Amino acid sequence: MDHPIVKLQNVTKRIGKRTIIDRLTLDLPLGEVFGFLGPNGSGKTTTIRMMVGLMSLTDGEITIGGYSVTKQYEKAIRHVGAIVENPEMYKYLTGYQNLIHYARMIPGITEHRVHEVVRLVGLEGRIHDKVKTYSLGMRQRLGVAQAILHKPQLLILDEPTNGLDPAGIRELRDYLRQLSKDEGIAVFVSSHLLSEMELMCDRVAIIQNGKLIDVRTIRGSQAETESLRVLIEVDRPQGAIEALLTIGQSAVIDGDNLIAIEADRESTAAINAALVAAGIKVYGIRTHVKSLEDQFLEVTGGERIG
Amino acid sequence: MGNFLQLVQNENMKIYQRPRTWIMAGILVASVLLISILWVSVGGRDTSMWEVAFIESSILFLLVTIFTVVIAAGGVAEEFTSGTIKLLLIRPWSRSKILLSKYISIIMFAVMLAVLLFASTILVNWVCFGINASPEVQPPIRGLNGISPVSYMLQYYALTLVSLVVTVTLAFMLSTVFRSGGLAIGFSLFLLLGVNSFVALIAMLEYKWIDYLLFIHLNLTQYLDGNPMREGMTLGYSLGVLGIYYAVFVALTWYIFNKRDVAA
Repeated sequence: MDHPIVKLQNVTKRIGKRTIIDRLTLDLPLGEVFGFLGPNGSGKTTTIRMMVGLMSLTDGEITIGGYSVTKQYEKAIRHVGAIVENPEMYKYLTGYQNLIHYARMIPGITEHRVHEVVRLVGLEGRIHDKVKTYSLGMRQRLGVAQAILHKPQLLILDEPTNGLDPAGIRELRDYLRQLSKDEGIAVFVSSHLLSEMELMCDRVAIIQNGKLIDVRTIRGSQAETESLRVLIEVDRPQGAIEALLTIGQSAVIDGDNLIAIEADRESTAAINAALVAAGIKVYGIRTHVKSLEDQFLEVTGGERIG
Repeated sequence: MGNFLQLVQNENMKIYQRPRTWIMAGILVASVLLISILWVSVGGRDTSMWEVAFIESSILFLLVTIFTVVIAAGGVAEEFTSGTIKLLLIRPWSRSKILLSKYISIIMFAVMLAVLLFASTILVNWVCFGINASPEVQPPIRGLNGISPVSYMLQYYALTLVSLVVTVTLAFMLSTVFRSGGLAIGFSLFLLLGVNSFVALIAMLEYKWIDYLLFIHLNLTQYLDGNPMREGMTLGYSLGVLGIYYAVFVALTWYIFNKRDVAA
């Protein structure tokens, strides 16, 4: 966190009277996969467009690697690779020609590197075919290829799993995680696929109606001490609640033969012992972890596009 | 940073990798062949090759203009409609330079087509009319000072190329402003063909402002034969007016392209 490669400060975008992005402030560190989550129309793509200089900022500032995107664009964008929305390529050129096209625009990309990237995304067999014959998944792979061609320090991918099959999604996910860990680059991924984000990202920023609502850590070690919601299946719920009251643990009935308690890992074992000692039959104990989806719906209030 | 020539190379690749470009070049050469062969089979060989070459050039230069306008109008607009503009712009190059590389490649295409037309008319008509021509057939004397046919042709091409560059720049501007290839092609060709057919009529009007109309000055070859469309107009004056229009087109194109939010 001490070396953020991207800094968004009070970024605001107004088109006419509508405020699309409202004072968004966000830091992205190197070596993390950072998710950008929000319902449709919340301003994800607009933010990404501003980060890569396709749109102007009404107010605020974005710096990448210390260079302002608005004032020193050529330096700021030098170490950025991106796909904005769909990976649109020149359909009348071959995949290879498309890559050569982008390779020519950045100094120091050798032909060897182009071949390396083609292998990496698994397009060796079709790279000399015209892009118009490619499937969506293959275009997505070509999109990733052009984005990593120059070994960027920041990789921005807008909905990267669109059109990929499950194997492709898994491959991409592993690859992105490996890139961020091994090469120490920052990966910024936007998506509406919550479960996908959960598997892919270290942290997730949640945006709604152009406002940053929350930044959550997904991979962390706080689970051990965190208080969880535990569901216990017993034969006599009422008796179980009374037995638990004697050890000072409050519980509520939650469905047929189920009681729910808030407890951490250690006390769950003690509670089980107390129930058994009170002669209550315990059929099952499970912890209920809130998924990102629950958290997301909780913070966005399940609201519709507004 | 980087090599600007590679950007031009990219734009050239995008022009010449498409079949339509070669179809255009093919149509141009085929038209030259067709006219010459028809001429030989109907009228025989008793004509100067320069006469035929000149007539073909004056007819077919319109094709060069139309084809170049099509390419120029597509230049920026197609990047927007296909969405590739996003991936093109997020490179360490300023928008002005990316636009310049496009413009240069289009001007190169215009010049290439003009050279192709010139070369094919000379070559085809030399074969059809020049080899073993009867010594009695004299090249026609055209122009003011009775200059040689070669230098007359070269002057003709030079003047027409100037107007072609202005027309192409206009189409390029419309392409950038409208971001729609169809609209840019349609509008440019309408201005070019539609207005040009009225231009002789308009030129007869007495109003002063007509002297500043672009279309009065687009046909520079009027000075080659020494009968300008409007009285008192000189080549220098026409070039001056075209220069001003050109500067305005270029300024507007670059200003808008730099300013615009890309939401394609």
